[in-house]
Amino acid sequence: MSHAVTLDQESCEAGGDDDRYLASLHDIRFGKAAIAIAPRLVPLLGKHEERAAVLARLGEACQSVRGDGQIGNHDDSQVRAAVQPTEFAELDALLPGGGWPVGAITELMPEAAGIGEISLVLPALAAIGRAGRSIAWIAPPFLPYPPALVRHGIALEKMLWVQVRDARTALWATEQALRCPAIGAVLAWPEGVDDRRLRRLQLAAESGGSCGLLYRPQVCAREHSPAALRLLLRAAATGLHIDIHKARGGRTHAVVVHPAAAA
Amino acid sequence: MLWLCILLPRHDRAALHNLALWALQWSSQVSPCMPADEDADGARAMALLWLEIGASRQLFGGATALRAHIATGLMALGYEARLGIAPTPQGAALLARAGHDEPVPSLSALRVRLQPLPLTLLALTPAQHDALRSTGLETIGELLAFPAAALARRFGPETSAYLQRLCGERPEPLRMLQSPPTFSSRCEFSGALTDTTALLFPLQRLLAGLQGYLRSLDRAVQRYTLRLEHRGHAATCVQIGMARPTRAAAQLLTLARERLAALTLVAPVQALGLQAQEFLQPLVLQMDCFAPGIQHSEQLQTVIDRLVARLGNAAVQTLRIAADHRPERAWSALAAQPEYSATTTPVTAALPAAGARPGVAELPSLRPCWLLPQPRDIDRPEQLLAGPERIESGWWDGADIARDYYLARGTAGAHWWVYRDLRSGAWHLHGLWA
Repeated sequence: MSHAVTLDQESCEAGGDDDRYLASLHDIRFGKAAIAIAPRLVPLLGKHEERAAVLARLGEACQSVRGDGQIGNHDDSQVRAAVQPTEFAELDALLPGGGWPVGAITELMPEAAGIGEISLVLPALAAIGRAGRSIAWIAPPFLPYPPALVRHGIALEKMLWVQVRDARTALWATEQALRCPAIGAVLAWPEGVDDRRLRRLQLAAESGGSCGLLYRPQVCAREHSPAALRLLLRAAATGLHIDIHKARGGRTHAVVVHPAAAA
Repeated sequence: MLWLCILLPRHDRAALHNLALWALQWSSQVSPCMPADEDADGARAMALLWLEIGASRQLFGGATALRAHIATGLMALGYEARLGIAPTPQGAALLARAGHDEPVPSLSALRVRLQPLPLTLLALTPAQHDALRSTGLETIGELLAFPAAALARRFGPETSAYLQRLCGERPEPLRMLQSPPTFSSRCEFSGALTDTTALLFPLQRLLAGLQGYLRSLDRAVQRYTLRLEHRGHAATCVQIGMARPTRAAAQLLTLARERLAALTLVAPVQALGLQAQEFLQPLVLQMDCFAPGIQHSEQLQTVIDRLVARLGNAAVQTLRIAADHRPERAWSALAAQPEYSATTTPVTAALPAAGARPGVAELPSLRPCWLLPQPRDIDRPEQLLAGPERIESGWWDGADIARDYYLARGTAGAHWWVYRDLRSGAWHLHGLWA
């Protein structure tokens, strides 16, 4: 849920050295907090030079938490990457930070359509909707079926269904949606993307602080990708078998989860 | 091709250039045209701006909606303009002069529309008008009834050629505005301005030009330069920078207002210029927006606006549940941008409007995440895992169904939602348990 972060003079001046300040910026950056300015700073903001200085300071500090979504200048024990729990305990336990990376791209590579690849992300999507952010579906291959989504707790009014004419437009729309801080998750089925294109999407996700969930065919696993997390999905005897192909700041693993899809 | 003509009374070249840059957001083909001689009166003293909207109108919800967008924009900038829409540039200009702002979509409809209009609306020289007047003809319809050869012989080849361009029988030679690599726009004042607040209105127009130009490129600026020109003094240059790239004219103006208010003028201002060179990816996240509640919905609206502008209103939708037992009708889609919803047909036009949203408890049994837009013919699945669920419904509207739905095992361990049509016995794939 959203909370307000107050930036006061001390923390502004302390800048990158103040833990609380960094945490605040981190929360602002990932859309968990709104910015509030301490009342005694308001007169300062009235004069444009000071205002510019405060904003520049904010901007610099944000740079230091940007990068790979982790706060800089701290030893490893304090490093926290922003995540959105998948709500599957066995998967969260294996993922760095304990969930879907926020402000980053995740690649989901299912062996076939209809093995539970959407149900896997629905608990997180429901949580994002409850937190007041929207979910964009960019040119899905089939209709995201409202009667099923509602059963999984998805708020339909938080969903945008975008249809496009061609793969290039789909990429453009994906990037726009990723860039928007009001959108917490973007699901897309990109075609013909290369490393450079993916990097653009990764930057867009960083700038918007959203979960970019890209569905790609399994052959793409052989290609290099800047995505923070790459998962190979196949049907298990019961449930969904997940191979963690790549996890930035974590290790590769395999796990079986049981989405409620075909229960 | 469909042309929209903006007719502007008495404008200098610089203002027309700025307006042409502004218009680039609606069309990549924009052609500004100044009257040949400045002191002639009537139709020829009007400046013209042509936009080819045949290619872009669908993006903006049709020609009528696009005309409304442009008219609103011009009015907000304080321009008194008249608009006309026709398949030929001259036709559009003539309709604008006549005050007919309803789009005329085809050449045949244009001829019909021109029939009763007076000859005085034709864009001809006074001498050519005199020649026409001497014949006793009154309406354009009467004139067009003559064969082209007779018109050329009687009124000269120029009049004849103009009429052919008007009716689309001859192409119109237009000089298209080439989108410049950097932005530069200027506005001169008839009297020198001594107060910086007086600069805000002309600045607003220049910034609107910049915004339109940036929209056409899908770019934003992080800094721009204002150049205040004085007589007998070096120009004052004011650099205006922002925390984040933007192209919102209102935001650009707010920042400029602050800077200008703090400025002491060394001399009265004769002209105002605006220049921008560096163009960046637009960022929706604005660091200096401190209203958290409004922020999210504004940001969402911004992205919806952009998607709709490029993809069309019908492409950006929200989904609803509809109270219908037939799976293909248990949902509906609604345009995400409500202000245009009256002018577009949703993709799901065949579906009934969404009824009251049923609670989860009223929903039928489990449903798959993916629904196929059209059920696909399949052979009887080898492995049926659950079912049947019988759905018989729709007798009242003729689209009735009688089906037995099953959960089946598909390829690669996928779970399929299939049904057997109870009348034909054929099997169909209708959804995927994704």
